[in-house]
Amino acid sequence: MSAEIEKLTEAYLERVKRPMTWSGIPLKEMYKPEDIKDLDYPKYLGDAGEYPYTRGIYSNMYRGRFWTTREVCGFGTPADTNKWLKFQMGEGVGGLNVIFDLPSEMGVDSDHPLAATDVGLGGVALCSIKDMDELTEGIPLDKVSFSLISADPITLASYVAVAQNREVNIAKLMGTIQNEPLHSRYCAADPACYPLDLSYKLAVDIIEYCTRYMPRWVTGNVNLYNLRETGITAAQEIAFGFAFAMAHIDGTLKRGLKIDEFAKRRAFYCSAHIDFFEEIAKLRAARRMWAKIMKDKYHAQDPESWKFRFAVHTAGCSLIYQQPLNNIIRVAYEALAAVLAGAQSLHACSFDEPIALPTEESQRLAVRTQQILAYETGVGNVVDPLGGSYFVESLTNKIEEEASKILEEIEKMGGALEAIKTQWFDRQIDAASLRYQKEIDSGERIIVGVNAFTVPPEKERPVGAHRVPPESAQLQIGNVEKLKSTRDQNKVRLVLEKLRQDSGKGENFNLMPAIIEALKAYATRSEILGTIREVYGYPYDPLELVKSPFSTH
Amino acid sequence: MGAPQKKIKVLISKVGFDGHDRGAKVLTTLLRDSGMEVIYLGKHQRPESIVRAALEEDVDVIGISYLAGDHLLYTPKIVEQVKRNNLKGVLLIAGGVIPREDIPKLKKMGMAEVFPPGTPTSNIVDYIKAKLLPPAQPEHNCFGAEETSKNGGC
Repeated sequence: MSAEIEKLTEAYLERVKRPMTWSGIPLKEMYKPEDIKDLDYPKYLGDAGEYPYTRGIYSNMYRGRFWTTREVCGFGTPADTNKWLKFQMGEGVGGLNVIFDLPSEMGVDSDHPLAATDVGLGGVALCSIKDMDELTEGIPLDKVSFSLISADPITLASYVAVAQNREVNIAKLMGTIQNEPLHSRYCAADPACYPLDLSYKLAVDIIEYCTRYMPRWVTGNVNLYNLRETGITAAQEIAFGFAFAMAHIDGTLKRGLKIDEFAKRRAFYCSAHIDFFEEIAKLRAARRMWAKIMKDKYHAQDPESWKFRFAVHTAGCSLIYQQPLNNIIRVAYEALAAVLAGAQSLHACSFDEPIALPTEESQRLAVRTQQILAYETGVGNVVDPLGGSYFVESLTNKIEEEASKILEEIEKMGGALEAIKTQWFDRQIDAASLRYQKEIDSGERIIVGVNAFTVPPEKERPVGAHRVPPESAQLQIGNVEKLKSTRDQNKVRLVLEKLRQDSGKGENFNLMPAIIEALKAYATRSEILGTIREVYGYPYDPLELVKSPFSTH
Repeated sequence: MGAPQKKIKVLISKVGFDGHDRGAKVLTTLLRDSGMEVIYLGKHQRPESIVRAALEEDVDVIGISYLAGDHLLYTPKIVEQVKRNNLKGVLLIAGGVIPREDIPKLKKMGMAEVFPPGTPTSNIVDYIKAKLLPPAQPEHNCFGAEETSKNGGC
């Protein structure tokens, strides 16, 4: 028994060992009025719905409407994912949120000679409007809010084409295209698939197109979340994400749009990591910073342009493989932080995400986590309930100060595009992720189940892994091959030739209309992106294996 | 003490279209810090390119990092390339987002060991060293012969 007694006395004496935030901001033992004595209410806080929106972008927040419950999904064939979307709707989600498979993200079709093993992994396969039609089968596109996690124009263009084919007025479409290719190179994508000049140009094409024709659509959801997952700090998350967001704004202004024409349809996708107060403070700080940037730097006049609209994804990287049920608790805290910070939309992770795709059971649990927050805990009753807290306000100030400093540093370098070219982001991200692992290895940072309170694997409750149906990849490849062999090839040749001509008309010439027309003639992702790539001097196939079947060169 | 030992040479790689390479990059640096020579081949590699690099670089260890649920699909392809190229004695290990129930399957396919998320770096270092280095000799040996030291010690 002596070992247990020793453990008990040790546990009794345990105390805070790391008096700092997750990101390393040192914390005082107690915060007092003097810590926020300069916090002028109208200047730095303001009521929710008023500049600088520190307390929230709507005056009544969740009394007006709850955050949108929106769980990311996507696997296998479009039909596989369609079935899953319907399962989610049955569980009570408020919006749909789909991610696309690895070949689609690389910009190639399912029938690419190297793609077979990866089709339907990491998301749903989507090569053509036939796939988009299947993905959205039975879903009225004018009635749902659909978020598309995709960094190239094909996904959105397919959605538009399918809506038009169904005679839905695209001005009525509600949803979001992520449209942020700049960060992708740091988060899984291959820079060869997203050449900086071309992907940036196409991102601006999307913003311009949506601004003109889809007034209810969010033209970009700058992905701070993926960046944070690499191990960077809360302040870096804001600064890096804002730098990318500003690059898109600069590009769109250069295209000739006015700031108040498009800024109100921009949004952000943030992380809610495990440090409760730091995440709340981070999101409040981001709201204040963005309002200032939009008003002071970009001289936006419309208050709608000043608002920092954000979705939250609870931190996948905070979830632990060992004792996976503990992740239910982690997700609940993170989701609570997102709600206390005033998120507009929330993906609560499923507890088995560090192991495999979510199962129906774990996905339902994630949805229920949100529903318990909304309907039982009462946290939505009052706007910004932590506003005025000595600690939270002080931490909000501190994070804003740090993030502003980093953002200034990036601006001095010439902005995000320059910092990408000089590999400044690579160095910052590599250093951060290494530091994080070293802190875990040394025990400086305690992770329950990893370097403390461990149990042997056989004592863990086994968690079943959700597998992509094994036949899905072949089914999808067969469907794409069939499409390519049965469509009117002459029509495809003509639309691709038109796209080729449009691509040669300079970077300000918007390619979205030609892409949509090409999709309607059943041209595919590879063919469309490849045609544009060739005009811009890049190989048709980012993997340099396939030649254009329609090339006249 | 004898001649200094040859450094253990490790090749770390991603395979297929999945580009989640954070773990692979961090492990590359930490194995280097532990004294090994480590090559990180990068993302979007093919089984053929991994094994070709392993041959050219004459590595002792190949480490594959998985995330996208593709481990059961790519491992047989890598093992096949290893066999076809007669890469005898190379230690093949994997890590990443791999369900526990798949670990025995990967071992059966030919992975020597599988390290799931949360594995302390030291476990990986110790494992590789235990597999590749001859058992450590005593620091000094009173009688110059192992048998005698076993009997009496110093």
